Amino acid sequence: MSYRLQRLPVAKPSVAFAARIASVVLALLTAGLVLKLVGMEPLALAGRVLKSTFGSSFGLEDLALLFTPLLYCGLAVAVALRIGAWNIGAEGQFNLGAFAATGIALFVPGPDWALLPAMAVAGALAGAAWILMPTLARAYAGVSELITTLLLNFVALLLVYWVSTGPWLDPSGHALATTARLPVAVPEFWGIVHWGLPVALILAVGLAAVFAFTRWGYEVRIGGSNPGAARYAGMPVRRHLIAVMLLSGAIAGLGGMMEVAGTVGRLQGGISNNYGYLGIMVAVLARAAPLGTIATAFLMATILNGGIILQTQGLTTHTVLALTGLILLYAAIGDEAAKYRIVKLAKGA
Amino acid sequence: MDILAGLIQTAFLAGGVLALAALGEVLAERVGVVNLGVEGLMALGAMTAITTVVASPHPWLGFGAALLVGLGVGMVYAFATVVIRANQVLSGLALTYIGTGMAATLGKPVSGSPSPATFRPLDLGFLSDLPFVGRAFFSHNILVYIIFLVLPVVLHWLMFHTRHGLNMRAVGENPAAADAAGIPVMKFRFWYTALGAALAAGAGAYLTLAFVPSWSEGVVSGRGWIAVALVIFAGFRPVNAVLAALLFGFVTALGFVGQARNWPVAASILSMLPYLGTIALMIVPVLAWQRMRRLMAAPEGLTEPYFRDVR
Repeated sequence: MSYRLQRLPVAKPSVAFAARIASVVLALLTAGLVLKLVGMEPLALAGRVLKSTFGSSFGLEDLALLFTPLLYCGLAVAVALRIGAWNIGAEGQFNLGAFAATGIALFVPGPDWALLPAMAVAGALAGAAWILMPTLARAYAGVSELITTLLLNFVALLLVYWVSTGPWLDPSGHALATTARLPVAVPEFWGIVHWGLPVALILAVGLAAVFAFTRWGYEVRIGGSNPGAARYAGMPVRRHLIAVMLLSGAIAGLGGMMEVAGTVGRLQGGISNNYGYLGIMVAVLARAAPLGTIATAFLMATILNGGIILQTQGLTTHTVLALTGLILLYAAIGDEAAKYRIVKLAKGA
Repeated sequence: MDILAGLIQTAFLAGGVLALAALGEVLAERVGVVNLGVEGLMALGAMTAITTVVASPHPWLGFGAALLVGLGVGMVYAFATVVIRANQVLSGLALTYIGTGMAATLGKPVSGSPSPATFRPLDLGFLSDLPFVGRAFFSHNILVYIIFLVLPVVLHWLMFHTRHGLNMRAVGENPAAADAAGIPVMKFRFWYTALGAALAAGAGAYLTLAFVPSWSEGVVSGRGWIAVALVIFAGFRPVNAVLAALLFGFVTALGFVGQARNWPVAASILSMLPYLGTIALMIVPVLAWQRMRRLMAAPEGLTEPYFRDVR
């Protein structure tokens, strides 16, 4: 009796799922080992994180406020991945959404019930506008959207930093590097948690339904997994690509609007707080499934919240970034490993 | 004239970072492995270099330490992408996150303070004293000459005028054919990917030892990604990559001069120039030089993992 490895072209879903779980667990174990080596107590720290996150309604509310932007960004990246496009620019589109919403709130007079929808639309449009150039470059010239969307992040961050310290700086003189407090806010429904959260959840369910049950969703999925076959079958792959990428930017932009009008209350540099980059993790871990992003965004929010709680222990939010990188590396390796199975060979074969 | 000489001088200094990182990426991509972890490798290299010179103030020691760390991390990346054949985009992004995060965490003690040892401009005798030319071309540190003169010439010769270089390109273009011809595909991919990573970390060391020269969390700020984009623009050729980096150094220098001379444009807006310029350079050539497309094309086997049994 002998054994050999056999590689399947596509991993079995159950094995792929197990590999995802294993990659997260392994990364946490690795991080714990590193903490142990530098003389910290990983189990005690983990206990503290879990207790202060899930032990009180304050902790849960904080978690919900981190979960919301992660879900928007995760959905944005996931949608683009469905047609095989890498939107690494959710960070920038998120900033632009916050920027546009702030512009409406500060400079357009009107009643709340009209302003908030206008801000949401402006945020989504700004996010879509921010990804327009990379989208057209990819669709018509084959330029890698991965790099162009990413480079625009830096431009967006500089833009928001510039307006919030310059032209839009709080005229009252109380704030050094932010705009004035927005006159309208997304209403809250549970403690400090605002309606941005349920809207994101509805969006996730809606997108899942679109991909599962509509012809458009089907064509997008085929266009992503096998563009050649999709074109041959007469599907307008390029048109779908453009629509999906713009939708992706719009979702991230809407997330930015919710963040500035719901959570933060004013526009400031760094408002995106790496959510766009962490959103890539959320989408990849969920294998680009909209409903899956709910679970992975929750996981990432917990990890991010843990990082914030542990700041008093000399860790920084960047430590969290390193940890998520580790999860991603293990996940990439796990993806490949999940394609193998062990086959038993009969004697003499 | 003085402004122009200063601009050229700064262009070389600022372009050196991008040039070294881009040369490393050319090596990896020519054997078929795209490394999107350049940004993280640069952060790690920059942090390693300054931590080393704080302990012992010799610039070469700091630079060497960064190269070694880059080689080590590059071997991990090559193990994941070449040996295990994991997805290169995911692994590269992971490397960017890990490198950026680790460098920011470990670099905290040395954050903000200037580097105690730097690569100083060489005195080239009467050449350095020449008007205009002296300031523009002969007032640089040793790394600038290595990056802009020695490395591109050596790499161009290696890649396009030796048997070894032909094998290397074959591995990137068509690994199955290269394998059939007896070229050790995995060895080529593994070691050139690791070597490219070492150069990326070296570019980070250049930042903290010759260009900025100090460490802060945001010191790399997208330069790694610009380097990756330059490689595409440069058609995966070392000499072009260095020239493109110089062009970008010039754009960066324009921003500096603008800030120094109080041009009526906000500093943040001037800082956008390199990013916007990179995007323009990625889009314009594809539209403008249709005929150059084949000549400048990416290696055929780029990002494709190689499996001997499924060819």
